[in-house]
Amino acid sequence: MADRAGLLDPAVEPEVTPSSVAAPGSGGGRRVAVLLLSLLVLAVSLVAAVRVGLGGGMGWDEIGRAVGARLGLPVPPLPRLADSLIWDLRVPRVLLAALVGAALAVCGAALQSVTRNALADPYLLGVSSGASTGAVVVVLLGFAGSHLGMTGGAFLGALVSFALLVFLLRRRGLDSVRIVLTGVVVGQLFTAITSLILMSSGDADSTRALTHWLLGSLAPARWQSVVLCALACAVGLLVVWLHSPALDGFAFGADTATSLGVDVRTVRMVLLVTTSLLTAVAVAAVGAIGFVGLIVPHGVRFLVGPLHRVLLPLSAVVGATFLVWTDALARVAFAPLEVPVGVFTALLGVPLFLLILRKRGEL
Amino acid sequence: MSRSARLMSVFAAAVLAAACATPENAPSTAASSGAVEVESCGKRLTFDGAPERVVALDQSSTETLLALGVGDRVVGTANLKTRVSPQYAEAYGRIPVLSPKVLTAEPLRAANPDLVVASFKELFTADRAGTRDELEQLGVPTFVSAVNCPDGETEPFERMFRDFTDLGRALGVSEQAGKLVADQRAVVDQARAAGEERPAGLKVVWVYSVYNGIPYVAGKSGMASHMSALAGVDNVFDDVDQEWPEVSWDEIAARGPDVVVIGDLSERGNPGDSAAEKLAMMREHPAVSQLPALRDGKVVELPGIEMDPSVRTVNALRTFTTRLDEITSRG
Repeated sequence: MADRAGLLDPAVEPEVTPSSVAAPGSGGGRRVAVLLLSLLVLAVSLVAAVRVGLGGGMGWDEIGRAVGARLGLPVPPLPRLADSLIWDLRVPRVLLAALVGAALAVCGAALQSVTRNALADPYLLGVSSGASTGAVVVVLLGFAGSHLGMTGGAFLGALVSFALLVFLLRRRGLDSVRIVLTGVVVGQLFTAITSLILMSSGDADSTRALTHWLLGSLAPARWQSVVLCALACAVGLLVVWLHSPALDGFAFGADTATSLGVDVRTVRMVLLVTTSLLTAVAVAAVGAIGFVGLIVPHGVRFLVGPLHRVLLPLSAVVGATFLVWTDALARVAFAPLEVPVGVFTALLGVPLFLLILRKRGEL
Repeated sequence: MSRSARLMSVFAAAVLAAACATPENAPSTAASSGAVEVESCGKRLTFDGAPERVVALDQSSTETLLALGVGDRVVGTANLKTRVSPQYAEAYGRIPVLSPKVLTAEPLRAANPDLVVASFKELFTADRAGTRDELEQLGVPTFVSAVNCPDGETEPFERMFRDFTDLGRALGVSEQAGKLVADQRAVVDQARAAGEERPAGLKVVWVYSVYNGIPYVAGKSGMASHMSALAGVDNVFDDVDQEWPEVSWDEIAARGPDVVVIGDLSERGNPGDSAAEKLAMMREHPAVSQLPALRDGKVVELPGIEMDPSVRTVNALRTFTTRLDEITSRG
């Protein structure tokens, strides 16, 4: 923390100039190729991850039958429980990992630009702290048994914390340092409330449940949450992507953005609301999976540069692929025990992050 | 290559169709004549035949199944907390351990059970074994112990006996279950009879475990409080409505218990888990060491595992009341 001011520098390479914002150079073709290639990798990863660590001696044959039966193909049906293992548990789990990974990576990329803070991630604004407060309240009120209760509570908590953030930001300019500091304050407040509730009335079991949930786990993934996250991602990612030019402008500061014709305050607010809602949906579904939203945008920026029109979709695809594989690792590393996936995103993320920083000459 | 490509396109199409797709094999368990119906913690379970592939989600329910003599039908266990009772060790050794800790949904379904038994309904959440509703839809009944599903009127031991009876009916071993209930009820009745004779007002503290130097004692909602009531003595922390609340040593001393019960958790193996270590800690504490109970050796040591509800809890009750008799007769 020696260079606190340096952390608030723009999260972009210095050689980019405003002119390249308006007219992407000759690298356009290469970027499309990279995007297509990464989409292919994601598609292969999705299929492969369904197979990885499948129990009960099952393999491609069973996966083909479970999926084929849904499409009305003439395949011999699987036994009921084996079928539900693949179709009700494994397939939605892999898809949810992809959706959450995409959402977190894009939110991270957008917030890094909005706040002009290289350390920004989707949880910077305290959404995950609010979500955990909501979850712990629900657990202690006795709905812990139903996962839906915990998800709903987490989502409500995230909304409440975000409402407080917006309330605190309601007047004066939305400058980036103010957003970051207010977000940190809100996050700390809700963390304190969570600790207070846990210490005053929590038992060992609810504390353990909350700890597990805080680290993030894709074990509770079901079709219901896949559909919900897919809808949120479709709308949220599109909204963020449509603001790509503004996000490019923010990298040079609010004044430059204004001179480029960006209504800074409105756009910032739209992006804060969108990313916060998207993060709230993701956190409510699978807990606060860390690090994806921080490292993926940096890694992608390193590959294709800082233009958000390319950076955002590629971050989504890379984030999805990253979380699909870390979740697969979390499933098989200590099987039959499941490690919360957040542990692995950090374990893998830290060295990757260091590598990127070193290559960029920032470390 | 074409095979995997085909699979991939199948997969992609499936993803699109996923939102509205539900398994077509909906539950259709019409209760035929001769079917056994069992009520378990808010769910009605129907058994057309005795289950042949039972998975127990925790140690306590595993030991109950072994006590009912159906160990050969248990195809999986999980979440072993401490050593299995020696009388069941051999049968236990033949059961596959699906997970050393909490079992999750995938390995449970891979084991293809036709009955899942658990001590706590909290083990049935989406991120653990899957919800009871999901398993019900798949035609897998889920049995949850009545001990952790209080109805507000039945005593814990009676709820445990109801478990034995219900599981016995479901598994077609009612005779064995009846014998188990009769044996254990005899112990409870004996303890109650002895408790009614015992002079009232004897105060007892149950020190279950010491973690980071902080004692965990029996509150109102566990077996220990119930066993105290049966034995005609007062649990000094009955005002706390938790199973094992954490308190301070000073508070234990202030409540002035006449008898101290210490849980021996040496099988767990953490520092401070053995009864001897706990006793040594109490003898060193300035206030607790001054209790007459400690000075006069009015201490009862019990295996910690038997203080929690299980088929072994009557052993603790038997030892507890026997030791109380010795202590009170000494005066």
